[in-house]
Amino acid sequence: MPKLKQAILKSRNRGMIREEMLKQINEIFIDTLDNEDIVVEESTKAEDVDDWDSLTHILLVVAIEKHFKISFKSNEIQNWNDVGEMMDCIQEKGI
Amino acid sequence: MIFKVKDTFKELFIVNKETYEGFIHVFKDNNPLHTNQQFAIDKGFDGVVMHGNILNGFLSYFIGEKLPTKDVIIHSQEIQFKNAVYLNDELQFNAEVIGMYESVKAVEFKYNFTNRNAQIVAKGKFQIGVIK
Repeated sequence: MPKLKQAILKSRNRGMIREEMLKQINEIFIDTLDNEDIVVEESTKAEDVDDWDSLTHILLVVAIEKHFKISFKSNEIQNWNDVGEMMDCIQEKGI
Repeated sequence: MIFKVKDTFKELFIVNKETYEGFIHVFKDNNPLHTNQQFAIDKGFDGVVMHGNILNGFLSYFIGEKLPTKDVIIHSQEIQFKNAVYLNDELQFNAEVIGMYESVKAVEFKYNFTNRNAQIVAKGKFQIGVIK
């Protein structure tokens, strides 16, 4: 098997299962927004969640950076249109 | 950003009569623990206990006036009260940067207030945003 393909497969196996990541992100939303009823999906956008305003967005980004021990760049977070794109960005950091 | 992890800050505060009476005047919290010497002693304290939220006022002053930039806004803060504060207590405020979040221009601090006996009277964390 070519080395590059092996590396990609190894990387995918090492990475967190997307379903598990979504579950963890959902917990972060619950804690940050202090709302036990929140259920986020990959297609969830800010306007779909009560209280997901600009300040809450900052708190969410900080909580996600802390939880996954990663750092985002400002241009990265500006490109997110929904939770799925947030997850893509997290996965791009090797999580 | 102007801050970096492990930056430390110190400030000295005194809970004087003007601050104590000003707090009561503004917020009307006349609970006997804060205003009745005998009541406070009966509850096991050495005298009337200063309002814990006076310390939040000191925290506000520190963030608004003493950080190296005025371009700040408070995102969140938390405080735990550990020991009573009495009139004219001198409090040492200590703060340290514990997190930097460049993507959202946020800085997280931990802090405490200690009295002259080196007892922590309150501690907590706060997060600020650096605004343009």
